[in-house]
Amino acid sequence: MSLEWRLAWRNVWRNPRRTGLTIAATVFAVVLVVFFVAMAAGLHEKMIEDAVRLQSGHVAVAGAGYFENRTLEQYVVVDPAVEAAFDGAEGVRAWAPRVLGFGLLSKETDARGVAVLGVDPEREPEVTTLAERVQRGAFVSNDTPRGIVLASRLADNLGAEVGDVLFLYSQAWTLESAFDLFTVVGVMKIPDVNMDRSFAVISLADARDFFVYGDRASEVAVLASDAEAAPLVAAGLRSTLEGAEPVDVRTWDRLMPELVQFIFLDDAAMYMLLVILVVVVGFGILNTILMAVLERTRELGVLLALGLRPMAVFRVVYVESLALAGVGLLLGLVLAIPLVLWFEGHPVALTGEMAAATELFGMEPVMTWKLKPLNPIGSTITILGVAALAAFYPAVKAARGRPVDALRSL
Amino acid sequence: MAILEARGVHKVYETRGVETTAVNGVDLALEPGEFTVLYGPSGCGKTTLLNLLGALDEPTRGTVHLLGRDLGQLSSAALAQLRLHELGFIFQAYNLIPVLTARENVEFVMELQGVPAGDRKARSDAILAEVGLAEMADKRPLEMSGGQQQRVAVARAIVGRPAVVLADEPTANLDSHTASALLDLMLQLNRESGVTFLFSTHDPMVIEKARRRVRLLDGRIEADEREA
Repeated sequence: MSLEWRLAWRNVWRNPRRTGLTIAATVFAVVLVVFFVAMAAGLHEKMIEDAVRLQSGHVAVAGAGYFENRTLEQYVVVDPAVEAAFDGAEGVRAWAPRVLGFGLLSKETDARGVAVLGVDPEREPEVTTLAERVQRGAFVSNDTPRGIVLASRLADNLGAEVGDVLFLYSQAWTLESAFDLFTVVGVMKIPDVNMDRSFAVISLADARDFFVYGDRASEVAVLASDAEAAPLVAAGLRSTLEGAEPVDVRTWDRLMPELVQFIFLDDAAMYMLLVILVVVVGFGILNTILMAVLERTRELGVLLALGLRPMAVFRVVYVESLALAGVGLLLGLVLAIPLVLWFEGHPVALTGEMAAATELFGMEPVMTWKLKPLNPIGSTITILGVAALAAFYPAVKAARGRPVDALRSL
Repeated sequence: MAILEARGVHKVYETRGVETTAVNGVDLALEPGEFTVLYGPSGCGKTTLLNLLGALDEPTRGTVHLLGRDLGQLSSAALAQLRLHELGFIFQAYNLIPVLTARENVEFVMELQGVPAGDRKARSDAILAEVGLAEMADKRPLEMSGGQQQRVAVARAIVGRPAVVLADEPTANLDSHTASALLDLMLQLNRESGVTFLFSTHDPMVIEKARRRVRLLDGRIEADEREA
């Protein structure tokens, strides 16, 4: 160990109580930072996952202009070649074509405006959780033609129940009137209240037949391995599907900008608290090192008198600060990482009002943690950075001292 | 040729607009191998002059030359190098580094000088044996008596083979027996290694044993006597 390191390391332990308190504060801060950053990462990942599984998918492919207009005029043709492209695309876990149309759904004398989504009964459950949201009856299937699943508030408003026959009226892609009778096969709960009032699902085959849509689809929802893989999957699909007809490929963050904003605000609030915590730790380190320097004015003067260069004195004080923060950081990570990994494997189930509120937003009522490599790396850089910043003033003060002043100080 | 020389050195301190002259036009030249004491009443400027000669402080006027180099012309880094290689210090309060053992304190200067680890160990063991502290090598300063600490300080001052050792009241905190033994040790080192010693002291025993005695009064040299 070099002379500077040896001096610094031993000086750190000269006042074990003060050092212990500073280290304890650093450990506490590191554990909190790692824990809360992992909690936010888990929460946000779960929110994204639940949101994409609710309907959009990680990536959506549609005809140009569809996301702005959402009419039957914008479409993608899902022929065998396109199907093969989706099947062969890298990072695609599942995909499901959909047809979205709007119409009037009536029962006896009551009628409501509805968004009718045509889904592939086999592919859709692989991409979204729509089928799992059925509370009564069943999801649409290819075995029951002209079956319709209603969102719960829509069913209530129409006074419709499973087995009732409803009349759907709309306009086909060919601009002709489209109308037919559909039998309610199920009622599902949609977390979004507005959507729950005006949403219904039929099978893709029925939708294509009803809207005279051929092999077209309004959009194709794609499930990637995870949200972070979405940009890569989108880029791959964009280059594969380019050429035939103009398509618009969007990732979840562009499909749900309000979710991105929520995550941003949530992160901002959390990081503000963590910054305050880290600043407090920084002042703790500054206090410890400054006190150590002031207490050792004479000793530092002796070091200078004996021939230690001012820059070396600066380094000794700096190394002390980094050693102090380093020990706290190491102990903090040793505690925090297993703790977070344990919680990652043991999500906490929410109960009561908390669970109800979570479910209202379409999320599973569980708290999850996610330890991303950037979390401990970022914490390490932050704490060491704060220690480096905190040590600067005491180190400069120590290095600028004249040996004669230091020797005269006691 | 003088090894260390002060020419017309003044040191004036200013406190709240009041000027105090601590050293007032001192001319002093030390020849190689001399064993010299600066003595005089408290406040006569002994420690200030020692600090100026030891490149720890800068004169207000005048020059200090060490081995022919004008200290006033050197940067703080160059002065640090000069102190490291050419000067040894012994302080009244010992001023050992408390987190280092006796051996590490002695090796400290050599480590800064870049002496290889093996040589450092051999030289520090030898010098600690010479000052009678071989068995205390692994003790830290707080585990040693004042006399033992000052002997480690002497070992630290001379182990780097400096041209001059400056000692500021080295026996002030020691009992007479320990002080006498320490002084004998330094005389022996002076005789055997030829290191030049300059002391500031009140101690009559030290004054008596020195071969050159410089009396300071009010910042001026009042008398400068050499033994025949």
